[in-house]
Amino acid sequence: MRNGKVNRDSISSGLFFLLGLFICLYSLTQKIGTLAAPDSGLMPLLSGAAICILALIGFAWAAMRKQPGEPPRPLFRGYAWRRSLFTLGALLAFLFLMKPLGFFLATIFFIGFLLRTIVPQRWAVVGIVAVLTAFFTYLIFEIWLQAQLPRGPWGI
Amino acid sequence: MEILQNIAMGFQTVLEPLNLLLCFLGVLTGTLVGVLPGLGPVAAMSLLLPTTFYVTPVSGIIMLAGIYYGAMYGGSTTSILVNIPGEAASVVTCLDGYQMARQGRAGPALGIAAFASFIAGTLATLGLMLIAPPLSRMALKFGSPEYFALIFLGLTTVTYLASGPMWKSLMMAAVGLFLGCIGMDVAIGASRFTFGIIELYDGVGIVPVAMGLFGIAEVLLNVEQSMDRTVFTSKIRGLFPTSRDWAVSMPSILRGSVLGFLLGVLPGAGPLIASFAAYAMEKRISKESAAFGTGMIQGVAGPEAANNSATGGAFVPLLTLGIPPNAVMALLLGALIIFGVQPGPRLVVEHPQLFWGVIASMYIGNIMLLILNLPLIGIWIQILKVPYPILFPLILLFCVIGSYSLNNSITEVFIMILFGILGYFLRKLEFEPAPLILALVLGPMLELNFRQSLAMGDGRLLFFVERPISAIILGIALLLLIMPIVRGNLSSKAKTGELSGPPS
Repeated sequence: MRNGKVNRDSISSGLFFLLGLFICLYSLTQKIGTLAAPDSGLMPLLSGAAICILALIGFAWAAMRKQPGEPPRPLFRGYAWRRSLFTLGALLAFLFLMKPLGFFLATIFFIGFLLRTIVPQRWAVVGIVAVLTAFFTYLIFEIWLQAQLPRGPWGI
Repeated sequence: MEILQNIAMGFQTVLEPLNLLLCFLGVLTGTLVGVLPGLGPVAAMSLLLPTTFYVTPVSGIIMLAGIYYGAMYGGSTTSILVNIPGEAASVVTCLDGYQMARQGRAGPALGIAAFASFIAGTLATLGLMLIAPPLSRMALKFGSPEYFALIFLGLTTVTYLASGPMWKSLMMAAVGLFLGCIGMDVAIGASRFTFGIIELYDGVGIVPVAMGLFGIAEVLLNVEQSMDRTVFTSKIRGLFPTSRDWAVSMPSILRGSVLGFLLGVLPGAGPLIASFAAYAMEKRISKESAAFGTGMIQGVAGPEAANNSATGGAFVPLLTLGIPPNAVMALLLGALIIFGVQPGPRLVVEHPQLFWGVIASMYIGNIMLLILNLPLIGIWIQILKVPYPILFPLILLFCVIGSYSLNNSITEVFIMILFGILGYFLRKLEFEPAPLILALVLGPMLELNFRQSLAMGDGRLLFFVERPISAIILGIALLLLIMPIVRGNLSSKAKTGELSGPPS
């Protein structure tokens, strides 16, 4: 910490501590057993406790560093984080569209969207790459490897 | 004589047309993912794991192993021609390899990288073949406390060797251990942390987790940075190193092979550490150490030999003890379990075809790689020219297909995306995901052996140190845990002058 502000390590330690605490509390709802006859709750309890202890160490480490080196540096400054967000959005949309549209059509939209929005490619490149990718992945995974990909109203 | 009979059986297995084809596909895919920056062997192996369900376990493991050592070959091409490591273990090859390319010696750099990889890969396979069977026989005497101690040591070493503060790697291991608890309890079958989600009853699968942490997260991190790269395009000639190149490189190759193999066997070290250690060793030994980084061929030969040799070494603990020393091996362990093969010291006895078939396939695979790498260099250069903005949607698509086809379930894809987001933030916060993967796979084994040991020792924790082997192993693990603290104290004392004495 510097100037009373928190750094990345103290934030992550805090989050991990909460996770560890949740795991410990949830483990207590399971049977812990005894050392001679340990039950199913023991290992999660131990791992939860380990997470909490390590989070405290991390918090202390972040606070005690004499030269933190980095003032609270924003995670996203200097990065085109919107691209990551769009990519993630496209991935989630693809996931939800796969069943209603079917793999083939959803793939064309997914690939086409990413090619056109992240680093915009020419429409011709977008069209050709999207259709060819959908075609060849369908051929390899559905026809040859029989992966049973989701089928849309048109059977593909 | 027995070893010759066994290896003959191995060759008989691998020379079956299907196995030969899969070995070829494995090393080809491996080279491809090695060449392409942003797609590593873990992601590629997770991606192709579901496709191996249609073949026998031997064929599947032969292909997956091929991807691993193939990636080490391919990684050097990108390091030398683009100055970007195609694969993490090739980082150090950039230092002298790219300088050689700039001086018009891209050919010999690529050539020596391929030959060094071939020699080291073959020597490591020989080492694996000689060491693994006796080690397996010794491991048969191990009980639960020894296994617990070994797994604990494995996790400790991984966290010790990972970059960054140790508490971060230990944190990743602890989170991995927790994730390993999700699903049915290994001993009595009670469900834990499943929250009624049917897909979680079998536990969190290693494939969606690995694909998320290594595939999706990598893409998310790459797309927000500049995606431009310049490929060294001038005509590449003279792939065969000169006799002078051979003379200076051969000792480096042999040293790198031995060091790489030994570090590969160690839990946690793996090809990346091996290549750095080999580079440091070459620099220290050389009379021209100041010239390293300016295009010294030893700076390519040593590390390339070491990272390939380490891949062979990494198979030793996996095939003999059933303990994976790194994330890639953890994935192979997961694959073995999915195939219904119980990894461990009995593997060599119960599945000799698999054991010897994989070893023989590594000899064949290394020859294939040598043939693939040099004549096909032009194709790899063309592939390197495919712009990342076109490549990354395909990587994402393959990740989605790979995780979906595990159980034909959208939930698995969703889990993969969740771990992708987690991996993205973990990397931003400077946490390394490798210990998490390893702990996820080792967690259930650790728990089972821990609980069995406690039951055997009637609940006495001292039981672990009453048995000499487990006591020694736990002692080493404890030492690794304490060392960073002691080192930190010593360096801070040195800074304040307590150890170094008064300034002169």
